[in-house]
Amino acid sequence: MISYLRRFQSFAGLIGILLLAIIFSPTAADGSRIFLQPGNLTDILRQMSLIGMMALAMTYVILTSGIDLSVGSILALSTSVVAMFLTRSYPSLGHGQQIALSIGVALAVSTATGLLNGLVIATLDLQPFVVTLASMIGIRGLAKWLTGNANIDIGFGQDVAAVFADIYRQKAVVIGTYAALAVVFGVVLARTVFGRYVRAIGDNERAARYTGLPIRAIKIWVYSLSGLLSGLAGVLYAAENHQGNPNAGVAYELDAIAAVVIGGTRLAGGKGSIAGTIVGTLTIGVLTNMLRLNSVDSNVEMMIKAVIIVLAVAVQRR
Amino acid sequence: MPVPNPMLQALDITKHYGGIAALKRAQFSLQAGEVHALMGENGAGKSTLAKIIAGSVRTDSGQILINGRPVTIATPLDAQRHGIGIIYQELDLFPNLTAGENIVIRNLHFHEGSTNNWRKIDAFCRPFLDQVGLDCDSRTLAESLPIGKLQLLAIARALSMNARTILMDEPTSALFDDSANRLFERIAALKKEGVAIVYVSHKMDEIFRICDRVTILRDGETIGTFDIADITPAEVIRLMVGREIDIGMSTGRTPAAAPTLLRADHLTTSKLRDVSFELHRGEVLGIAGLVGAGRSELGEALFGLDPIRSGSLELNGRAFHPRSPRDAMNAGFALLPEDRKLQGLMLQMSVRENGAMGILNRLSTVGFIRSRDEQSILEERFARLALKASQFSSPVNSLSGGNQQKVLLAKCLLADPQVIFLDDPARGIDVGAKQDIYRIIRELAAAGKGVILVSSELPELLHCCDRILVLREGRATAVFDAAEATQEKIMTAATREVVQ
Repeated sequence: MISYLRRFQSFAGLIGILLLAIIFSPTAADGSRIFLQPGNLTDILRQMSLIGMMALAMTYVILTSGIDLSVGSILALSTSVVAMFLTRSYPSLGHGQQIALSIGVALAVSTATGLLNGLVIATLDLQPFVVTLASMIGIRGLAKWLTGNANIDIGFGQDVAAVFADIYRQKAVVIGTYAALAVVFGVVLARTVFGRYVRAIGDNERAARYTGLPIRAIKIWVYSLSGLLSGLAGVLYAAENHQGNPNAGVAYELDAIAAVVIGGTRLAGGKGSIAGTIVGTLTIGVLTNMLRLNSVDSNVEMMIKAVIIVLAVAVQRR
Repeated sequence: MPVPNPMLQALDITKHYGGIAALKRAQFSLQAGEVHALMGENGAGKSTLAKIIAGSVRTDSGQILINGRPVTIATPLDAQRHGIGIIYQELDLFPNLTAGENIVIRNLHFHEGSTNNWRKIDAFCRPFLDQVGLDCDSRTLAESLPIGKLQLLAIARALSMNARTILMDEPTSALFDDSANRLFERIAALKKEGVAIVYVSHKMDEIFRICDRVTILRDGETIGTFDIADITPAEVIRLMVGREIDIGMSTGRTPAAAPTLLRADHLTTSKLRDVSFELHRGEVLGIAGLVGAGRSELGEALFGLDPIRSGSLELNGRAFHPRSPRDAMNAGFALLPEDRKLQGLMLQMSVRENGAMGILNRLSTVGFIRSRDEQSILEERFARLALKASQFSSPVNSLSGGNQQKVLLAKCLLADPQVIFLDDPARGIDVGAKQDIYRIIRELAAAGKGVILVSSELPELLHCCDRILVLREGRATAVFDAAEATQEKIMTAATREVVQ
């Protein structure tokens, strides 16, 4: 009984915000609430999907008692790389092949940067905060250097870049990708040896050492996954915004971390869940949508978000 | 005999954590100049009562009287004002501050404005450091002091706060006999000055050596207070657990003829020098030595945590060179580390998850854990260790120390090891759980395993072991057969250089 109440508690913040969003929703001409229109609800899901996938991998990272501050920069690098490859001409490749190549390179580069984070953290035994703070700066620099600090526009029309954007900006693709990843990450964390090792390492790394757990391998894996998912978010970002943007994703790492923390995952590691992170992500998504529907000034929006984050965490504390 | 007005009295102290009562109308009374033992099994409420008196936990109801007058002790600062000091088992010192800073911080008797004046700090601290016999500079960083000296530092701090009552929670749990003896000398000196000491401990021999009276708690209630002269250890144990218990154990076997299981030949690591020994099947080999003599380090070397620089190991007649804990485990080696909370358990994770941590590879198919197999294997093992399966999904930190130790032991034994290195397994756990651990050691030996047992308590070694290896400063100085070993012989070998 108590455990049911506790489980409900982690949803309390989300439910509260949903109620507020419904109550304060502006009404359309026919009197229905705009917030509840299917178009708006799927908009929310699409908008939160990118932060959502970064938050999935961030949950693993934080569970190992690490942190990944470089995800926003990796997203920017990925948007830039995918747009560069899409806007070049490869006469020998068909559209489908070129799109696959572009996405493949963007994901490979992103995973490699994550892998590098993991290698440095695991083998040199440095603090994840410091290492990923450095790579946050360095990777942003790399993205700007590659693009000459300019956006690479993806046009509208029949060229390969436009075809790419038309496919990967669809709500079904974006939301579907996030949903599939959420299921995979949830199952892996709850059911597999890997998932249990992730939590064990964050709970007590010294004990993990005495138990002979593969600490380094696990750390390298979680940062690589974080790179991969940030890269994927970058590909979808490029499609949605019709551009590769080396300045994209600034402060996304903070939104991803906020989603994880609102979802009840302990920042010190060892305790948390993917379900919680999904709730945290939805909470932020609904909140943002509610404020924008009511045309709240974006600066005020930030202030309100700040208060809500603290309240959400306070409400669900055990 | 007329009893003078008690210096400190705790009346009808009740405290609940969640729905569970830690203390139920507990009574306690303390005279000036006495050493008063507070005993009980883990979970009996000893530490909670001590913390309530010291102001770090608030009582639900009840009253505390000092010299007959009721007082409110809501914070540690209140306790300090009333002359009460506490020395926690996990010493509450700041490792990155100096000894002097640790003494003056939040000290009502030191003018806080001068916290950055080294000369004033030194002048203030010196008498108290001298009083406890701590010869270090007041500018020494606390983290550079060994545990025995940290304990003295904590006592010096209590004295500098003008404490007339000092509570000590398991002060000797990390000390070997020589540091413990020094502590007892200090306690005797403090007693002469009229300071009252509340002494929380599991160690019966210490209680009967230094205490005047004993108060026994069981399940949060006071069972009674007795003069030490009027009670025997067996009676104390019976009152603590509420049933008769056989405290002794003897192996009564002669395993020297059994085949050799593990042979260490001139083993040298960063902490060990030239250590050689043999372990036979079905044998319990004790490791004695002072703190820092290399007892735990031997386990780390055997477990691949500290690289072997020279010398060799043979397991079952084959060369064995562990490079990592995984290596050692695969070779049939298990280590129960000294500090179960720091090195052993994932405290947020459940009992089941902790128990299965070392054998998940065996319990999984393509990386997915077979939870039914996990459950049944653990249930069977836990039943043998007298652990209740009802606690399977509770976080392991909600268990008592004894049960935590059993979970850790289950984790080690599930890997079905040949050689088991137990690093002080009975430290800080209650009498009942100790008996269970001794029984398990006996069963392991009977099943033909090799057990290496490290302990800081010599009686425990003498009871449990077939042979005892003594270490001193990383060298093996003597090996005794249990039959010929005495506490005196072991102490001599542990403290003095022995020439072959």
